Amino acid sequence: MSWLARLWNALRPTRVQQEIEREISFHITERADELRAAGLSEDEAMRRARRQFGNVTIQVERTRDVDVMLWVDALRRNVRYAVRTLARTPGFTATVVTTLALGIGANSAVFSAINAVLLRPLRFPQGDRLMRISQTQERSAETAVAPIRLEDWNRLNDTFEAISGYFVEDISETSGDFPERLRRAWVAPRFLDVWGIAPARGRGFTDDDYRPGGRLAVLISDGYWRRRFGADAGVIGKNIRVGSAAFPIVGIMPASFLFPDRQVDLWFPSPMSGFVAQLRQATWYIGIGRLKPRVTLDQARANLDLVQRQLAAQYPASDRGIRVQVVPLKDVTVGDVRASLWLLYGAVSVLLLITCTNIAALMLSRAAHRQNEMALRMSLGASRRTIAAQMLTEAAVLALVGGSIGLLVANGASAALRSAAATLPRVEEIRVDGRILLYTLGTTLAVALVCGLLPLLRTGRGVLSTHDAGRTQVSSRNAVQWLLVGIQVALSITLLAGGALLARSLQQLSHVDPGFDPSRVLTFRISGTWNETANYDSLIQRIDGTLDELRALPGVASAATTVFLPGVPAQYESTFDVVEAQGDGERRLAAERRFVSPEYFATIGIAVIGGDLCGRQARSAPGAVMVNRSFVNRYLSQRSSVLGLHLSADSANVPPAAIAGIVADARERGIDREPAPIVYTCFSAPNPTPYFLVRTHGEPTSVAQAVRQKIRILEPTRAVYDIAALEDRIGAAFTQNRLRAIVLISFALTALLLACVGLYGTLSYTVTLRRREVGLRLALGAVRGDIVRHFLLRVLRVVCAACACGLALSIAFARLLTGMLYGVSPSDPMILSAVVGFVMAVATLAALVPVTRAAFVAPMHALREE
Amino acid sequence: MSAPKNDILQGTLPLLVLKLLASNKRLHGYAITSRIHEASADLLRVEEGSLYPALHRMEQLGWLRSEWGVTEKNRQARFYSLTAKGRRQLALEEASWSKLTEGVGRVLRFA
Repeated sequence: MSWLARLWNALRPTRVQQEIEREISFHITERADELRAAGLSEDEAMRRARRQFGNVTIQVERTRDVDVMLWVDALRRNVRYAVRTLARTPGFTATVVTTLALGIGANSAVFSAINAVLLRPLRFPQGDRLMRISQTQERSAETAVAPIRLEDWNRLNDTFEAISGYFVEDISETSGDFPERLRRAWVAPRFLDVWGIAPARGRGFTDDDYRPGGRLAVLISDGYWRRRFGADAGVIGKNIRVGSAAFPIVGIMPASFLFPDRQVDLWFPSPMSGFVAQLRQATWYIGIGRLKPRVTLDQARANLDLVQRQLAAQYPASDRGIRVQVVPLKDVTVGDVRASLWLLYGAVSVLLLITCTNIAALMLSRAAHRQNEMALRMSLGASRRTIAAQMLTEAAVLALVGGSIGLLVANGASAALRSAAATLPRVEEIRVDGRILLYTLGTTLAVALVCGLLPLLRTGRGVLSTHDAGRTQVSSRNAVQWLLVGIQVALSITLLAGGALLARSLQQLSHVDPGFDPSRVLTFRISGTWNETANYDSLIQRIDGTLDELRALPGVASAATTVFLPGVPAQYESTFDVVEAQGDGERRLAAERRFVSPEYFATIGIAVIGGDLCGRQARSAPGAVMVNRSFVNRYLSQRSSVLGLHLSADSANVPPAAIAGIVADARERGIDREPAPIVYTCFSAPNPTPYFLVRTHGEPTSVAQAVRQKIRILEPTRAVYDIAALEDRIGAAFTQNRLRAIVLISFALTALLLACVGLYGTLSYTVTLRRREVGLRLALGAVRGDIVRHFLLRVLRVVCAACACGLALSIAFARLLTGMLYGVSPSDPMILSAVVGFVMAVATLAALVPVTRAAFVAPMHALREE
Repeated sequence: MSAPKNDILQGTLPLLVLKLLASNKRLHGYAITSRIHEASADLLRVEEGSLYPALHRMEQLGWLRSEWGVTEKNRQARFYSLTAKGRRQLALEEASWSKLTEGVGRVLRFA
């Protein structure tokens, strides 16, 4: 037999014991037989055989100890003892297990989100090697890449396996009864190679698909395949109608492939032919690339930099001043969620810490109640290690049960998170996997250690003085407990301060005057293709015609188009030169650039405060722009009149435009951002699918149906999509902020509740311990008010110290909140003092019940008890 | 029971058990006690109770293997037999025993 057998024996102790007893009783029976044969009586023979053998119990035990693995056996016995003890106090056990399940569950759920969104590589083969590649130019906001340049990069670099690109447009598909809006991605050669993903069915694109006049081909998304074709496998080879052409479906992408975004339904090969594709100034691709194995980001950057410098030497006119930007695709995908997730994780971990200290405090008072039992066991010879092991086992049993239920909680919470935060990037990847299991196990063990070891600090010392175990005495031993209460209060203050600051920011935001009126404005888009930009005049004609028809609808006050929605965070910065510049101060003026139809200002309520409203214009005509007050104040304040000055934008192919008028400032870039200098180019059709804005007399969504019907009559092949009220869109832009504040505040309140429970429990316990003393004092003539004051002061001293620590902590961690606050400083004295006041009030309330109980102790009763 | 007791020297019990089992195919605990008794012509007496922890330890060490069987009197008993490892151990113990006795003998003779 080996250690394995001994382990096995440790797990079936009764069986082992029985076998040894049988073996020994056989020995004794044989001996007795022999003695009987020698002439002894039955009884006498048995008695003598026993005596000759010695102490059976001891020998059985010694033999058993050889056969079993002792520590496993001890563990088993400890666990059984712990389970029995815990089962005797079901209330305590249920409370602790539930609290732990929630604490550990919430923690694991948030960690599963962090794991999926921030830690795991993108779900493509070797996803960490995928890069977003853009071109940047000093004076331009443009980051798209010219197709011809993309090909150059791909050909000349030696750090990427492949570089490709794509761009997206919204189109309408017309093979069904109604035109359906679809999102189509045009993809450059090597697109699927970069991802390392093959279609789930059918084939990918071949070189032939990219040749001008070659085969037509389209890949469709799994979502579209299910929605439109009911997941019919025979769909390959069928046609999709876009505009006047039909394209055969050659393959279906896997369900997990959601790129460039979740809404893409179709992928078309973008031919590298034609005049425009050869222009070095025509930029439209968003570049993506796959690094070669073992190439670092820096190497890749240096390499592409070199490549671009060669191109600049070769084509100085177009390529000088262009730089290459390489960013890991994961960073682009995750974006600004990172800070929110870590904040959430920090909060939920603090909550777990509070839970632990709370449970430690509970176990402490429990340990105090069991002091007699411990003292008895120690005087009977139990070592301190034995008792420590047993208490740790108890904590471990609680933590393990709590942790297992917590895992279920985490699983449920992950599902909830997936549906609640549907716009979170990579949200579909959140799930409970092996790493989460390990993480939960780790947390559980940590919790067991904290909860089990803290009470030991106390019993370790307490048990030494066994002589006073029989009678409870007042001593400073409660210090540990009060320290734990203090920690809980301090941490709750930190959480609460964070939550309050975020909430205050939201409140400030809702009081901001955006400079325009977002109410009663309906927004939507009408499908179109980039092909239409080949003939801008007819595109402008189409969009202006649509605007006229919309305005004629009943219930509509005015209609306009814009590329960016006002108040929804977006940034598009350009630099402008004043053509009539009087010095360098009027060159290279940085300003946000907006493309709007002239009706925009009236539609969303931005006042024209100088000059005239620009008129509608054709692409070929010299353009007109409107500038806002900030632009004039910042750049042109010395001039008596700015009207009629010409601004030239950085894109060289657009002629300078005259300033027609000045408009009031508005928070175009987001409600939370101060108005910046803006140049509005009056152009109703800068792209084929601008946003339409319709100001209505009544509820904006009520005219949605009328708009649909109108467009149906006007242009039966186009789809109206993306319909929403402007206010809802602005609200949606701040969903993340709102969610963040709500979650943090609910965590903070939970934390405070836990802290109060801890405070209540500790104080009640102290009061119980000191009943006799209080009774004595009362009997000796103490006033009840003194007793109340005494206990309240004790609580307030702890709470005040905790508040000070909590405030210091919140100020230290305020850095985490930067970028999330609006209109409030992280150390805002009003908020912080309100938080402290609130916590003090709640803590006093929690203390009131036990304090009152202390004050109304009946002296004789209390004294007679002992 | 006041028969002259000559308890087995600490550490020699395994050697005796191994030796007995080497010449007998399988024995139960009681038989081992009586055989030691008989073979030593009553000179040696095993303290009966301590035999079992020793037997189980030797089994844990892999020198013995045990199985339940039936005696001629039709009783259930645990029988022990020697393993290959036990046989090697016996050789070692015999060698060290003879060295010990020789050493002790020399000291007694020449000291």
